[in-house]
Amino acid sequence: MPQDEFVVQMKGITKVYPNGIAANQGVDFNVRQGEIHALMGENGAGKSTLMKMLFGLEQPTTGEIIVNGETVRLTSPTVAISKGIGMVHQHFMLVPSLTVAENIVLGMAPKKGLFIDYKKAVEITEEYAKKYNLFVDPDKRVMDIPVGMKQKVEILKALVRGAKILILDEPTAVLTTQETEELFRELIHLKEQGYTIIFISHKLKEIKQITDRLTIMRAGRSMGVYETANITEQEISRLMVGRDVVLAVQKDKAQPKEPVLQVRDLEYTNEWNKKMLDHVSFSVRRGEILGVAGVEGNGQGELVQMLFNLNQPDAGTATVNGKDIIGMPQDKIRALGVSLVPEDRMTYGIAGAATIEENVISDRVSEKRFNKGPLFNMKAIHEESDRLIKDYTVLCKSRQQKVQMLSGGNIQKVVVAREFSSDPELIIADQPTRGIDVGATEFIRKKLVELSRKGAAVLLVSADLNEVMELSDSLIVMYGGQIAAYFEDTSTLTDEIMGEYMLGLKRQSDEEIRRVCHEG
Amino acid sequence: MKQLFDMIFQAEFLSSVIRITAPILFAALGAVIAEKAGLVNMGLEGMMMIAALFGTLTSYWTQSWVVGVLCALIVGVLLSLMVGFFALKLKTDIILAGIAVNMLGSGGTIFLLYMFTGMRGNTGSLVSQNILIPTVNIPLIQDIPILGQILSGHSILTYLAFFFVFLMWMLLYKTPVGLNIRAVGENDHAAESVGINVRRIQYIALAISGALAGLGGAFMSMYYSQGWNSGMVAGRGFIALAARAMGQGEPVGTMLSSLLFGLAQALRTKVSALQGVSSYLVSVIPYVATVLGLVIYAIATMRRVKKTRRARSVPAAAEEKK
Amino acid sequence: MKDKRLLVFEMVRGAAAILLALCVATIFIFLCSDEPFTALRYLLVGPIVKDSGGFNTASFYTILAAMIPTIFTGLATCVMFSAGQFNLAAEGNVMAGGFIAALCGIYIKMNTGLHAVVCVLIAAVICGLIMLIPALLKVKLGASEMVTSLMLNYIIMYVVLHFLNYNFADRSKGSTQTFPFQSTAQIPALVPGGSKLSWGFVVALVFVALVALFMYRTRWGYAIRMIGINKSFSEYSGMKVGGVIVLSQVIGGILAGLGGSIEVLGRFNTFLWKELPGYGWTGVTIAILAKNNPIFVPLAAFFIAYLNKGCMLMATYSDVPSEMIDIIQAAIFLFFAAEQFLAGYRQKIVVRNTQADLAKLETVKEGEA
Repeated sequence: MPQDEFVVQMKGITKVYPNGIAANQGVDFNVRQGEIHALMGENGAGKSTLMKMLFGLEQPTTGEIIVNGETVRLTSPTVAISKGIGMVHQHFMLVPSLTVAENIVLGMAPKKGLFIDYKKAVEITEEYAKKYNLFVDPDKRVMDIPVGMKQKVEILKALVRGAKILILDEPTAVLTTQETEELFRELIHLKEQGYTIIFISHKLKEIKQITDRLTIMRAGRSMGVYETANITEQEISRLMVGRDVVLAVQKDKAQPKEPVLQVRDLEYTNEWNKKMLDHVSFSVRRGEILGVAGVEGNGQGELVQMLFNLNQPDAGTATVNGKDIIGMPQDKIRALGVSLVPEDRMTYGIAGAATIEENVISDRVSEKRFNKGPLFNMKAIHEESDRLIKDYTVLCKSRQQKVQMLSGGNIQKVVVAREFSSDPELIIADQPTRGIDVGATEFIRKKLVELSRKGAAVLLVSADLNEVMELSDSLIVMYGGQIAAYFEDTSTLTDEIMGEYMLGLKRQSDEEIRRVCHEG
Repeated sequence: MKQLFDMIFQAEFLSSVIRITAPILFAALGAVIAEKAGLVNMGLEGMMMIAALFGTLTSYWTQSWVVGVLCALIVGVLLSLMVGFFALKLKTDIILAGIAVNMLGSGGTIFLLYMFTGMRGNTGSLVSQNILIPTVNIPLIQDIPILGQILSGHSILTYLAFFFVFLMWMLLYKTPVGLNIRAVGENDHAAESVGINVRRIQYIALAISGALAGLGGAFMSMYYSQGWNSGMVAGRGFIALAARAMGQGEPVGTMLSSLLFGLAQALRTKVSALQGVSSYLVSVIPYVATVLGLVIYAIATMRRVKKTRRARSVPAAAEEKK
Repeated sequence: MKDKRLLVFEMVRGAAAILLALCVATIFIFLCSDEPFTALRYLLVGPIVKDSGGFNTASFYTILAAMIPTIFTGLATCVMFSAGQFNLAAEGNVMAGGFIAALCGIYIKMNTGLHAVVCVLIAAVICGLIMLIPALLKVKLGASEMVTSLMLNYIIMYVVLHFLNYNFADRSKGSTQTFPFQSTAQIPALVPGGSKLSWGFVVALVFVALVALFMYRTRWGYAIRMIGINKSFSEYSGMKVGGVIVLSQVIGGILAGLGGSIEVLGRFNTFLWKELPGYGWTGVTIAILAKNNPIFVPLAAFFIAYLNKGCMLMATYSDVPSEMIDIIQAAIFLFFAAEQFLAGYRQKIVVRNTQADLAKLETVKEGEA
């Protein structure tokens, strides 16, 4: 294969972040002129990092990037744009109150004297829209247009700036089925006109439908490049989803008792009109860990929000020991014995500028044992925090240290110290070990098992397949806002089966799924 | 009561409303452009005070009102750039940086005046008619009965203030700089991703804001009060912030709310001459109106949010029934 | 130990900001004065050193007396800023509190001792209620407390002036003022002489302790501080965020009302303010200097009162106007609140600390291996 066929070559790319995480290790990635190339992998596999380097948002630690046969140093997006690379971010970079045309010419507005030549801006928009079959309404304000059109605006923005290579970061994640179909037609049209498209996704059907070749990444490494036509969905799934190291966690067999959390027909449509929760029903029983597996963005995050009143569902109920917790204030939910290890620990989990002590007592400051009349019982509070710091092995100088000065693993230990120590009936753990060191990870996993065996009901949401399969006693898989499968026993599960359900290749029957409700 | 109405519907009264509105309008437009770039210019009050002082002083030294006005404008720009330096570069909270400018405005001006002239508290004897901003009659319009009296015979800066409403609208909505300012204020990441220098745009917006405050100050000392004194600006900078909020940050809306303040203040001057009406209570009107305006705006916004939420849950429910 | 280094750095930075501000002042003095050294002497040591060289007790008392209202507004601002509320209505509440206390002092009849207390309490409660306006508008409607509180200042001022002029004015006097308070309502002086240092100073210090206890030793103060740091975290932890935001502003109103009423009953015998007294804005400066910690409020208030007195003396005995104080305050304000002021050095310390930590970790690992 002649070298000059490639418009982009990334050779031996390694990226080590300042915090020591190696997001990419010796990755080779190349894209042919005029193809649609899929970049696939689970969350955290290093796809985004690789693309950020190609768009100049990050610089590789080692390795070489060659664009159109020329070795380049992409120090900023502006440089990348000048080399003909454009990127459509997952979170749109648009200004809502400006019109479509204004957004498209932003930073390079056509002028007539001192003024913007708005007519010209509209003309440019229409010209490109026509040429590439990307129909947008130039005069509408971006805040008033649907998501699908916003995406077209983003693509047009890149094209107007002279991009020949387009990176699309999970473009279908926010789109409805119809919008997705439309996008694909447009992408194929672009391809026919000689554009090169890099398409990040983990939706197998889509990949099969429109890509020519694909690169699969796992744990920061490339798992190889394949012709889309020559690889089956099952093979992709196996390459993509899989565990490198199996960390075994010691646990006895669960002896589940009565349900603590019962979720029935939860529904939620997000602000872009995408259905994020679709008739979600399940139960979590005392003494068991119910895992929620799935590629991120399939409704797990929304589910957790609903269960802690951080968002309101459109319909449905969720009861803890018979009491409906939908719309209940957090202090009441906590009083029912619910605790949450939040996914976004810096936003919800901690107050960074406060001390460790102040962080571990935030849910229990009103309890009698910590107050003497109107004042705090400081002795009791000190004792409590020292005990928690010791029990949860938080590495710190003193309880008065500010939490933001701790490492990620220790910050998470502060969070779990609080959440696990309140004798919870139900623990919701959302991505409890994401981005933290091995020691802390192991510690938190052991604690989860220990608490469930002592009688707590645990709902474990994790995109980490290793974690969710090892820890869970039984498991549900979410796909497209629905529960796609329920496995009562996780011990016989294989990565392959999981992959097929997680990527939407298979779905159990309603009856099979309904068993997770444990009714009758 | 009849007495009051007679007074309000006099041309002279309406003319005074326009005159009183002008300095508020300058500062309020300054608030508009800063806020469009995502910045709160809390220091408008102090900028007006300081610019007013320098305007008077330089016009005295050069015996030219034009130089005075230009100097006031430049002082406004320099002060706002100072706020920018502290807020954007040294990360002082921009509201606090603005409060610091207000301190300079309330006490620092008295100090500076003394330093330059040895006078205390006001510039009384320095001011003569020839260094005040001149008034201008508009040909044709001045001959129209009543309307001529209302619209004609104002100072150049008064016309300028209202002209600037139009200019500000043009700047924000018709020029590339305005487009960039709005983009930076709304989504600085988006602006940055297309190569706009966010910091630079913020400095530009602040500078324009300061220039407008400077003109407002010049208007106060070189026309309205005919000389600088320490109690002269009297909260107009804060009123300007409120006028912007009430005008929902748009030039025309801000002009209307500024006019409301002007009207209330003009009423107060008139009413204090009347028996049985408290001029103080009349003075309260614009402030209460601002709070009410904010309340109404907030309720409207909440309704809109609720409505969109309902709107998207309805089709979802309908779809389900199918 | 390493955290201590950062703490020392913070203190050095504060001192540097103050020094820099004084340098700015010195430059201005040299620019405008014919006798700069006399001016500087009065500014810096004049407030407590007599011309003859001894300690000036009377002057010292005046400084302490001047701290009374600003300690209260400083505390009020600390509480509100701690909750992340940019409420600037302490200014207006001082005036409202003073006026209400004055009216109670004139028209309610009571025993000595009790009378002043009742006047002050009524004023404080009403000021607390006044603060419900910006607080509820913020919590219920999301209206900016900054704008509403600024407007509130003017509303209060004009309403007070209206009642002062139309209902309660003592027409026998040349200037607009109320009738004198009954002697029972006056707050007695703490020390004899004309220093105006009343028992209010002791009350102010008591409130410093109370507010410090409240902020750091009660669940409500804790909630206020946590909400100021991270609102989402507080909500998730189960705190009543809206209620606490209202509480913080009501407490701010009460404290400002206390300040105004104690100032009026302790310093004057009639109500004669014709404009906002400016203590609210000084309170903002004090809160910034004290980094929102009540314990440091008296220190900051003393510093500002000292400078104020120094500027006054400088104006009396040299040719530099007293308004120098505003230039000094503005400069302190700008540098003190600047996060990035000397940030380069801070970064160096942080990096050095992290490196030391990592090195230590390495040695531990090696030891294990």
